[in-house]
Amino acid sequence: MLRLTGSLSLVFLTLLSSTHAHHSYSFENTAIVRQVELAGSLVQVVTTYAVKALEKNAKAYTIALSSNDKEKTSWLEAKVKGQQQALPVRDHGKEPTNGYHLIDVELPKPLGLNETLNIVLETIQTHAAKPWPASASQNDEQSLLFKTDLFVISPYQTLVQRSKLRSPTPRIVEFTEPKDLEAFTLDTPATKSGATITYGPFNNIPPSADEDFLSKTQQPISVQYMYDHPVLEVSSLKRAAEISHWGSNLNIQDEIRLRNGGPELKGHFSRLDHQAQAFYKRPSPHVLPALSLHLPAGIRNTYFYDIIGNVSTSHLRVAPAPPKSLKSRTPQYSVLDLRPRYPLLGGWNYTFTLGWDSDLSDSAVYDSKSGKYIVKVPVMTLIPGAVVNQAEVTVILPEGATDVDFSLPWPAVSTSSSTVTTYLDTTGRPALTFVYERLTTRHDGDIYVSYKVPLSAHLKKPTAVATAFMGLFVLTLIGRRINLSLHPSKTA
Amino acid sequence: MSTAYPLPSGLSQATVTNTASLIRIVTLALISGAAIASRLFAVINFESIIHEFDPWFNFRATKVLASQGFYEFWNWFDPTAWYPLGRVVGGTIYPGLMATSGVIYNILHALNLPVDIRNICVLLAPGFSALTAWATYMFTKELKDESAGLLAAAFIGIAPGYISRSVAGSYDNEAIAIFLLMFTFYCWIKALKQGSAFFGMLAGVFYFYMVAAWGGYAFITNMIPLHALILILMGRFTSRLYVGYSSWYAIGTLASMQVPFVGFQPVKTSEHMAALGVFGLLQIIAFAQLVRSHLSSKQFQNLLFVAVIGTGILGSLAIVGLTYKGWIAPWTGRFYSLWDTGYAKKYIPIIASVSEHQPTAWPSFFMDLQLLMFLFPAGVFLCFKQLRDEHVFVIIYAVVGSYFAGVMVRLMLTLTPVVCVSAAVALSTLLDTYIDPVEPLVPEEATPSASGDDSTTTSASGSKKAKKPAGPTESTTAQSTPKPRSRPGIFGLDTRLVVIFNAFGMLSFFVFHCTWVTSNAYSSPSVVLASANPDGSQHIIDDFREAYYWLRQNTPETSVVMSWWDYGYQIAGMADRPTLVDNNTWNNTHIATVGKAMSSTEEVAYPILRKHDVDYVLVIFGGLIGYSGDDINKFLWMVRIAQGVWPDEIQEPNYFTPHGEYRVDDQASTTMKNSLMYKMSYYRFAELFGGGQAMDRVRNQAMPKQGPTLDYLDEAFTSENWIVRIFQVKKEDLLGRDLKSANAFSQGKKRKRSKPTARRRAIV
Repeated sequence: MLRLTGSLSLVFLTLLSSTHAHHSYSFENTAIVRQVELAGSLVQVVTTYAVKALEKNAKAYTIALSSNDKEKTSWLEAKVKGQQQALPVRDHGKEPTNGYHLIDVELPKPLGLNETLNIVLETIQTHAAKPWPASASQNDEQSLLFKTDLFVISPYQTLVQRSKLRSPTPRIVEFTEPKDLEAFTLDTPATKSGATITYGPFNNIPPSADEDFLSKTQQPISVQYMYDHPVLEVSSLKRAAEISHWGSNLNIQDEIRLRNGGPELKGHFSRLDHQAQAFYKRPSPHVLPALSLHLPAGIRNTYFYDIIGNVSTSHLRVAPAPPKSLKSRTPQYSVLDLRPRYPLLGGWNYTFTLGWDSDLSDSAVYDSKSGKYIVKVPVMTLIPGAVVNQAEVTVILPEGATDVDFSLPWPAVSTSSSTVTTYLDTTGRPALTFVYERLTTRHDGDIYVSYKVPLSAHLKKPTAVATAFMGLFVLTLIGRRINLSLHPSKTA
Repeated sequence: MSTAYPLPSGLSQATVTNTASLIRIVTLALISGAAIASRLFAVINFESIIHEFDPWFNFRATKVLASQGFYEFWNWFDPTAWYPLGRVVGGTIYPGLMATSGVIYNILHALNLPVDIRNICVLLAPGFSALTAWATYMFTKELKDESAGLLAAAFIGIAPGYISRSVAGSYDNEAIAIFLLMFTFYCWIKALKQGSAFFGMLAGVFYFYMVAAWGGYAFITNMIPLHALILILMGRFTSRLYVGYSSWYAIGTLASMQVPFVGFQPVKTSEHMAALGVFGLLQIIAFAQLVRSHLSSKQFQNLLFVAVIGTGILGSLAIVGLTYKGWIAPWTGRFYSLWDTGYAKKYIPIIASVSEHQPTAWPSFFMDLQLLMFLFPAGVFLCFKQLRDEHVFVIIYAVVGSYFAGVMVRLMLTLTPVVCVSAAVALSTLLDTYIDPVEPLVPEEATPSASGDDSTTTSASGSKKAKKPAGPTESTTAQSTPKPRSRPGIFGLDTRLVVIFNAFGMLSFFVFHCTWVTSNAYSSPSVVLASANPDGSQHIIDDFREAYYWLRQNTPETSVVMSWWDYGYQIAGMADRPTLVDNNTWNNTHIATVGKAMSSTEEVAYPILRKHDVDYVLVIFGGLIGYSGDDINKFLWMVRIAQGVWPDEIQEPNYFTPHGEYRVDDQASTTMKNSLMYKMSYYRFAELFGGGQAMDRVRNQAMPKQGPTLDYLDEAFTSENWIVRIFQVKKEDLLGRDLKSANAFSQGKKRKRSKPTARRRAIV
């Protein structure tokens, strides 16, 4: 049976926001550790808050994000340290004048006075690191610049906090050495060891989520580091999932516009240099020659083409669909080694279409109690390390589907429904379209759609086709029996 | 009467006819299936892709038609072609092909069958080849009988001569034109035989379709009048001829003038005069016959004498006068090149530079027609034996078609149908003779001659009509009754089997040959090249699409791409960028300009490039992997065409070594080495080999270590196997220097004081 976790949490979220009035409790942060994993398009920020309740029965902890961070953050999840279950969060909405953003985290159980808890806030920022210098020639290295604020802000008093910025390679070009921090520390505020830069520890920071602190004490810091992989972004992704009960088939087709978001190519592309790099096994860090995607197991009829035809330079290794009885924890994948027609250099685009068929029974169940089908459609296929700027997922239901209901893993920017008419349809198929923005690798959830298909709708297409042929035959029958000849006597 | 093998008895006439007709339908369906299937090699070995050069334009035009509707298409002005001139597409194409695909597309979409327009275009030619097989069946049936028709259908279905132009993806005018050709001829024969205005009109309508579809319609325009004229000269003028011809000509010509590209040509150009002349002649003859039926023979002879001389003189004077005044256009160059194969090379190098306009080599006759080539003369001979009106047609067609096929490779296509028809007649006669179970009667000599003669003549004059009234007597031995004449026959089963097995052996070899030729020679899209990996698996060389797609995705939409005209349509279709010249070679000067830019030095070419807003220059270079159809091999044509316009600046001999060799290595002439084409092709090529000896694998010449340098262009993109190289034209130097000295400065070279300053001014 499918578990509708996404919808449950969603329901819970809405319940929470409706019933729980905004009320802030008083806490103290005994320690805050922020760890930033520097990378390409996606930067993961894990902040651990060691909190102590300063009042009884504290139900919610408030987290503050600077407007900058909030703007970049596309994925946010709060947990109690060491636990799997995500905590429900509630956004206060935008407070643009203040320059910060407050988010309430519902605690699993109310904290008593002086009780402590470790809350882990995990966010993924998109487009946070930008290529610096902004253009590079083919043989140059790629360095990225990441900017953030020195202090983790919080509406509460903080005893000690530090920020660790970890670069994927030890080659860090430069980083900011903050000044005027005598109030918080006596050591050197920034130290580099290996690939990690540590800011802090800073002691005794007043409640920092206020305008005064932000304007006077807060400082920007930046790190410029070498990055050895291409910075990928999907400018737009259009996914269409078409459900067919007659063919017991789920067709998924992605139209992807891929862009190398690394430094713009300075000068021109030289095949000679490219081939020399490949020959000496020293590929340019910002050139993307190929990428491999994990597609679902048990797919068939995979196709990969672009506007001018099939792309012959790709390989697919299909894994068989896992048996239903076996609930293996390690999911199996078909691996598609996808090579664009040309290597993608900085700033270059490549659009292509990727699609496949899979058995509908792998992703649909029939609930005999409600008489509904429930179909699971993944929001996207992950492209490792890439951000999807704009995604449009269309689920095309069978012709004549009624009582359509859906649940989303996280709210969409917009949701609309339409009718799609294709293969011998008479009335058209209902379709649901969901628009998302800035999806990250953590957004690999599934959309669940449930609907009823009456028997008459199932039979609509065969009936229509049969009627059409019948009509054709009858017309022929009549036509053969009419004699249009001017001289009937001759032919008779 | 003895038979060589037992025949089933007790079958009713109806059973035999029904079974025969069922077998015919099934056979025709299978032939259609085979015709379609054998053309799908290209899709199976490669993919559903548009082939070669011209089809890319047709495909692009069809997309416009399908997406924007017919009126937009009709008024389509394409500003991206022939930059900066543009092209009025609607008025300069034969829209039949696009209209056909558009209609199919719209019908399918009206039925909610969302078939991609590309797949319709790719599969149009195979689909129409099935129709061609059917039309050939109908045509041959008129000539001999159904069995010959089936053979002809099978032949045309798989003959490589036709497949070469109709494989899946070969989306060109010929794809539908051969069907139209055969069907028009069928309607004409039918109209002639029955004197039917209906079939004459059908011939006219299909002639119109043909005019709308292919420039080769002139073949019909001259074949039918020629046939009519010869029939008149043979003294076979009948009212059937008059009715058939007049209805075809009147309707066909009026309809054909509705095609904008044709316009008033049917009454103004020399190619169409024959049809008009014969039309007039028929009227005169018909009038003369009318007059004769009212006059005595003496008076009539006098009248005829005066009238013939009078009209003859008047007619010739009129035609000469009209031609002189320019109302009737004289013959075009393309037409002259049909009579003098050396003509094009001398006067119109553009026409001569197209490989399919070369005279046909002997082996290609065998390759395209194999067995049919030998059966063809036998079939023509058999036509002479019967020599009804339609046989005269086939004989004329055979003679004319053979001549044209010898002159131009591409006209092999028009020969193929008549070869198939004649070969089918010959082979079916052979099989008729040897399968026929009746053994000749030894003792009696001439007794059954009267009845035998009678039945042959009836079946000859109209096999279809003759059969029906013949009644049940013919039921089981329908074929046998006409035979017991005093002609020789065959005894025994063994002789029959030897010949029949031999015939079937040849036929099966023919099938194998056709399949082999189709899969190996004619199914390559030429956009995609195939080679083999070391382990034997297929390796696709996809350089063209790689480079075109790069252009499409990573250059501004308005960048103008200059390349040799061969690639114009492909660039427009796949890269969607404006081009200077393309395969619609209507403007010789423009092409010569490109030729001049390619064959001049950088300094001379640069102002030309800048004046034409060229952003990118694209060259095809096969030297790395041995792709012989590259631009260096075509280079001499560029030189020749440029020389035709600028004989003072470009001279072909300068591109050869003093020994008259065409070389690209150390010994290449200075002009060659300094030409833009040479520089672009070999730019940094030697470096690819590290320290080793650089080899051009197409020309098998060792390249000099020091390759050419470029000052006015930058290498922008080179495809994986170096087949396509794209260069960006530099903008003028910001400091007003000429680019050569700017380049030298940036490389740290000392500027030569002796450089004349005048050059700076030369660059605008």
